[in-house]
Amino acid sequence: MLCSFKNPAEHRYVIRMWIMAAFCVLFSFVAALVFRLCHPHGVLSYLVAVLPALPIIGALVYTGVYLAEEKDEFQRNLLVQSLLGGTGGILAVVTAWGYMVDFAHAPQMDLVWVYPLFWLFAGISYGIVRSRYR
Amino acid sequence: MKNRLRVLRAEREWSQADLAQRLEVSRQSVNAVETGKFDPSLPLAFKLARLFETTIEAIFSDEN
Repeated sequence: MLCSFKNPAEHRYVIRMWIMAAFCVLFSFVAALVFRLCHPHGVLSYLVAVLPALPIIGALVYTGVYLAEEKDEFQRNLLVQSLLGGTGGILAVVTAWGYMVDFAHAPQMDLVWVYPLFWLFAGISYGIVRSRYR
Repeated sequence: MKNRLRVLRAEREWSQADLAQRLEVSRQSVNAVETGKFDPSLPLAFKLARLFETTIEAIFSDEN
């Protein structure tokens, strides 16, 4: 997979995403370790807890950077449509879930799932959008 | 939007991959434009016109 880059922008994007994923795992491990061993309080606890989110935010920023760097307008168009699908999908799920919590007392949704679900919907959208151009 | 890309390509004996390489885009992009499923931007249309040494109107038409 790593060897099948079609252009330099895609190459850089994949490398950056792998780096962000590695940092996310590392920071999750560090945060869990700090909370287990040091029991931080107050502002420090928030700072440590937010650590794993930083590479995720970085991945979103790098997705934007890729869109700016990608010279192939068709590939850009595919990704933009997929991201719109991902955004729409996750908005639909959290909105529906919110009403279920409000009215039917459904269990609260863990917000940690928002990011992976966003990419799941974006991936499904990519498949659908891509199939339209075959 | 209709286009004459397939004909122009055939005249030069270029594959979609050859054209994609000359345009610095993916083969999928060339295929999407050629089959009329994706309308290229004006810069890409000008690039195609320059590459085939013709005008944009000679490549693309808005007939359905």
